Amino acid sequence: MSLQIMFDLIMSGLCLGGIYALMAFSLSISLSTTRVLNIAHGGFLILGAALAMLLTRYAEIPLLYALPIFLFSWVVLGYLFEIVVVRPLIGKSPEDVLIGSILITFGFTMAMDAFLSFYWAKFVDPTPTFSLTYRLPPLRLLGYTISGTRTFIVCFAAALILGFHCLLKYTGFGKAARAISEDAEGALITGLNPQGIAVKVYICAVLTAAMAGAFYVLLNPLAPYASFHLTLIALTIIVIGGVGSLPGALVGGVVLGLAEVMTAFFISPAWSPMTYLLIFFLVLVIKKEGLMGGAR
Amino acid sequence: MKSHCRWLLAIGLPVATLLAAGPSLLTRDLVTALFFMFIFVTLAANYDILGGFLGYVNLGQGAFFGLAGYTTFILIVKVTAVQQLDPVLIRPVAVLASVLVTLAFAWIFSYPLFRLQGAYFAIGTFGLVMLLSQLALNLPSVTGGAHGLYIPKPLYLSLNAVYYFGLILMAGSLALNGVLHQTKMGLALKAIRESELSAAATGIHIFKYKRRALVLSSIPSGLAGCIFVLYAGYIDPDTVLGHDKTLLPVVIAMLGGSGQLFGPIVGGVIFRGIDVALKNYLLLPIPALGIYGLILMGLGLFMPKGILNRVSKKHKE
Repeated sequence: MSLQIMFDLIMSGLCLGGIYALMAFSLSISLSTTRVLNIAHGGFLILGAALAMLLTRYAEIPLLYALPIFLFSWVVLGYLFEIVVVRPLIGKSPEDVLIGSILITFGFTMAMDAFLSFYWAKFVDPTPTFSLTYRLPPLRLLGYTISGTRTFIVCFAAALILGFHCLLKYTGFGKAARAISEDAEGALITGLNPQGIAVKVYICAVLTAAMAGAFYVLLNPLAPYASFHLTLIALTIIVIGGVGSLPGALVGGVVLGLAEVMTAFFISPAWSPMTYLLIFFLVLVIKKEGLMGGAR
Repeated sequence: MKSHCRWLLAIGLPVATLLAAGPSLLTRDLVTALFFMFIFVTLAANYDILGGFLGYVNLGQGAFFGLAGYTTFILIVKVTAVQQLDPVLIRPVAVLASVLVTLAFAWIFSYPLFRLQGAYFAIGTFGLVMLLSQLALNLPSVTGGAHGLYIPKPLYLSLNAVYYFGLILMAGSLALNGVLHQTKMGLALKAIRESELSAAATGIHIFKYKRRALVLSSIPSGLAGCIFVLYAGYIDPDTVLGHDKTLLPVVIAMLGGSGQLFGPIVGGVIFRGIDVALKNYLLLPIPALGIYGLILMGLGLFMPKGILNRVSKKHKE
């Protein structure tokens, strides 16, 4: 096997890993601050992809205008999601939060998947799959070619993760969010407003998921019913990396991304969804707190 | 509570008689609808062994259903030793073997699964269903892949037969939960639900009881899977391992009231009623799965404890 192929594989793995890390971290931070298990998270990737496709391919809005519309609608949707779905659960006992969040977000995902695929098939395209094409010229490095689009995705994912890191580390909001996830009661005593923080956390999480979805469909097409798969991938990464841990999400995402790409290349693409399930159960058997440790 | 039971008995006996006479009185459509209801109430009652007694959300009840269904079909279609048996024996042997396989599967997977708690347990069990459906899709030489497997026509079970099997299975599952309510094991499971730490302190072997609960809940679900596929005559990943087989038991148990003996029945009747109404009578331009999802959401928002728990709470007040 030539080095060029190896290089391409690693690049694809990193690309997918970066997207997975974004998806997993945004879920993990919303889980650790509000204790609400958001099963609809994978659905936001799909909705994000669908909206990006609708704006750029079908409405043919130039990217300069499409981007602000995209971002703005996700801020609004994230806000609404927090108000309708998450807020009624906050402040209940842990068991009630768990059961309530599973019921509500599972129901939300099911309804969303069904409506999206039904109406997309009716009004837009009879066989709904989401994909985007946005070709950038390939780069040349030390005699090897690298796909421009993939480099762009990796850079963008890295920038977003770095942004997340700074947001959590240096801003007042980030410190408050971390305080609440470490010790909710203690944070309340210091006078933090959990609802205000939850709203901001969910806006960030939903926005990041939607962007990750738009990037994902630049690489691979997505079916409307894949949201449970995506959520499970995100949760696998959280199990590997630990709840609320950014480095954990990064490592978990890259491990999973590389494993998936390698399986698809060396064995068969049909087996690649199997890799994360196997890794998931393997991690559970080896170490239940996740490989990188972490909360809970 | 005692008068509550007597009331249920007064309603239950005539209903049971009616159900027993079912196939000769009702139309074929209604008998099929009832059969589906029995299957789902069985699954919901099995879910409730973990969900109601132990307080663990098991999103993988459908895994046992699907695994048993697949094992039955693989034995009948692919294994020559089974095919050479006396034609009368083929189905019982296959069903028995698949229930044993399901039981072993539950036993083995109880180790990784019960290392998890709360939300992680729910996700782990959901992963189990995903694992099985991926395996079923990716091993076409064994499972038929996406095309599935078919059995020869003489091996089909008739609608009347599966109706009674389903009825017996449902009654058996409910009886199992009823017995659990009375026995030491049920008490131990409830103690674990309230607090694992203090349950362990009183000398309850937590893991042993959890594993026993999971294995116990897998058996009727496996049987339900066998009956379902023998009636359908074919199997593919979507029919037996689809999201509805995983989700509906949880929804039905929670709609009726988790931890209540008759919760699965109440939930099952309402849910199947909605389903039949949506598919046969009300022709709305909306996908049925979307409506299930909205019902589930409303349930979580307004009535997270289910109908019977709400009624009994009002009763107490």
